[in-house]
Amino acid sequence: MIPRPRVFVTGMGVICAGAGSVAELRRLLREPKRSFQLPTVFPTAGESAGLPVAQVSGFDVAPPDALPRTHRLALQAAREALGVGPAPDAIVLGTTTGGILTTEFALQAGCTAPGAYRFHGLHTVAEHLAVSLGVRGPVVTVSTACSSAAVAMSVATALLRSGLARRVLAGAADCICRLTFHGFRQLQLVAPQGSAPLDIQRAGMTVGEGAGFLLLESAPNQRAIVAEVLGTGMSCDAYHATSPHPEGTGAGLAMRRALQDAGVDPSVIDYVNLHGTGTVDNDAAEARAMRQVFGSSLPALSSTKGLTGHALAAAGAIEAVICGIAISDGLLPANTGLQAVDEKLELHPVRDPTRARVGRVLSSSFGFGGNNACLVLGEAPTAPAAIEVGTSHPPAARLPPLRVAGAACLTASGDLAETWKALLAGQSVAGFVPEAAFSKAAPTAFIRRLRRLPRLMLALAQTASRASGRTSPPDLLAAGTAWGPLAETQDFLRKLFETGDQFSSPMDFIGSVHNAPAGQVALLLGAQAPNWTFSSGDRSFEQTLLCVSLAMTSGAPSALVMAAEAHEARLSPLFDPAAATGPLASDGGAALVLVADDGAPGARVRWLGENGNGDGSVQGAAVALCAHLAAQAPLDCYDAVGVSVPAAIGADADAELLRLTEMLPSCPLLTYRDRLGQHASVSATATALAARAVVEGVLPFGPDGISLRHRRLLLLLLGAHATAVEVFA
Amino acid sequence: MTEQTDSLVVELAHKLVETLGLDTTADLVDPAAPLIGAGLGIDSIDTLELVVMIEKDYGVKIDTRAAGVEAFASLIALAAYIRQRRSAPSP
Repeated sequence: MIPRPRVFVTGMGVICAGAGSVAELRRLLREPKRSFQLPTVFPTAGESAGLPVAQVSGFDVAPPDALPRTHRLALQAAREALGVGPAPDAIVLGTTTGGILTTEFALQAGCTAPGAYRFHGLHTVAEHLAVSLGVRGPVVTVSTACSSAAVAMSVATALLRSGLARRVLAGAADCICRLTFHGFRQLQLVAPQGSAPLDIQRAGMTVGEGAGFLLLESAPNQRAIVAEVLGTGMSCDAYHATSPHPEGTGAGLAMRRALQDAGVDPSVIDYVNLHGTGTVDNDAAEARAMRQVFGSSLPALSSTKGLTGHALAAAGAIEAVICGIAISDGLLPANTGLQAVDEKLELHPVRDPTRARVGRVLSSSFGFGGNNACLVLGEAPTAPAAIEVGTSHPPAARLPPLRVAGAACLTASGDLAETWKALLAGQSVAGFVPEAAFSKAAPTAFIRRLRRLPRLMLALAQTASRASGRTSPPDLLAAGTAWGPLAETQDFLRKLFETGDQFSSPMDFIGSVHNAPAGQVALLLGAQAPNWTFSSGDRSFEQTLLCVSLAMTSGAPSALVMAAEAHEARLSPLFDPAAATGPLASDGGAALVLVADDGAPGARVRWLGENGNGDGSVQGAAVALCAHLAAQAPLDCYDAVGVSVPAAIGADADAELLRLTEMLPSCPLLTYRDRLGQHASVSATATALAARAVVEGVLPFGPDGISLRHRRLLLLLLGAHATAVEVFA
Repeated sequence: MTEQTDSLVVELAHKLVETLGLDTTADLVDPAAPLIGAGLGIDSIDTLELVVMIEKDYGVKIDTRAAGVEAFASLIALAAYIRQRRSAPSP
């Protein structure tokens, strides 16, 4: 077996409360002084006016049409991490807020101007970075709440290990905003006096913000190495929407999986950077998990959230940089904010910054939905021969095909069978999914608080799982959604604004996070597997498939993959105006149960590639991708090409389609959104239908369908980053 | 029980069912039964939702675990909790 490529940290960048660079954070860690303050980037009223946040200072002056705050935080830290080096092959970014701070002001003002919400989507943070830095490969957006950064690092590590990339910028960014500030406040999780992790008097977190990035490379210049990513591990509690499992079971599982991936024993860990939010429940559960994993010989440990605040998605990225500094400087960071440790936790945190040799560290991040992710970092290797020297660019690795063991979709016509029938009859299945098609997703008591998107996802997951005949939960659960739970977001902000920034619904806040639906699916299926949500605009499904394929390459035997959108009357037309208005406006999605290719009959699905021009333009991106694919295997093996043309691309698509027709003369090009409808996750629906088509040997377009001689279809998505997926039997 | 307490209990029963989307009707909620951990299926997220609703609609806070135990003992207890705090002189 070829040893897998090693992954090295060769650059770091950070911005958080109290530090605008790695050098400033280094100084702050040596002389910790926290800088919590009242928020100045949004108005507060009533009780909330007295609550401190961990705000990045000197960063709040922006003209109204400027980039949203999260985007600006991300760009600053990304530029620092990248330094003067060439563009990375890929970006993997975690975020939960995207452009919501800007959106909140626009919604409150009743703004309907076109373009006012163009940076709302979570994917726009990474895409803006990609354009700023000239990135042409995969640009992935992870949104798993407060574990987003650690999941992003894990995906980046998998990309490097697979050989698909040699240089990846991985990190996360989030800014303070009304949604998260009031959301956590109404969950009674915000500390009135600022967070004091592990303290007997701890009363919650301090909502923070910032960004952190690591430049990760598999074949770096030896001199540049700061640290090495030894391993990553993830799990899901499958216990509760927001509360951690009281015994810390899922957290302990993620820690053990990370140590196992790193191939190290707990006893060699010199320092643990805790998730340590300072809430009563998190710290208690995490302490139990620590003792489960490390027994009675605990390493040095601390939570740094009493210093930086809890920057949500960005927290794990800022803390990865802190761990990098701990290793390179030989410094154990202090548990700032601690007065009297809670003896019941049986933990002995580092009280003051301490000089020590730090060879290996574990960093933990846990989030809503019981999403846990851990990283193991180690010091730079001393022997230069240990590192592979990089040669070919761009990397030419391919991912293996996966067998489709079960599939489900939901369209305006209903489920997969009804959709198939309608398409064969020559009908369009565009429109919104009727409630009757997904309302029986789960027991009434289970879904009573859930709105449209989680219900759609539950129905898809349930149906695909049943179709697969598998009785055990999947080994991996991954969901894609461009826009997330919009009804919950809309209601939370409406109620907040109606009460003059005072009251809103904790339930809507919990439901509004992008990974809430996947968390509900994990609860329903009892799936303690890693639980991912990707929010990459129109590429959300393709990127979910990419990341699942990467994980299955390294051993996960099965996965549940899904993508869905839920139309919301007010927000959808504002956020995705081209797709969400007009006769093709649609919602719905699909789910696939995928297993490693075991030779059994059935459809196969394979992620083939993602390509961008590096400047945000559409023209030529798909053509170049097809030319790259044609160099690997002739394109005339496909019976047809399904092309997803997002409405927002407009006229740019015509020239691209013309050139594709010229490249693929013997292959009909089907622009399937004309039949399936316009929504960001419709490529999942197309993939589920294609999986049935290649098995039946017929494509359900037209009265008799199109006969498939090769039983092989290519699915392309046009956009600033074009993607390709093949489906065959 | 006075006329006033009755109407507050009835009002709270309606708000309970509506706010939490319970699969029952207000007249079927037993005013003397515990709100949490009993047949209604109300959990910690629901109680937070109720805490916000009660502060917004009645100006009464439930901000400690002890207060929660007292207020959510039953609908009757919740009505009593609200009346007691509302009649207290405002700070």
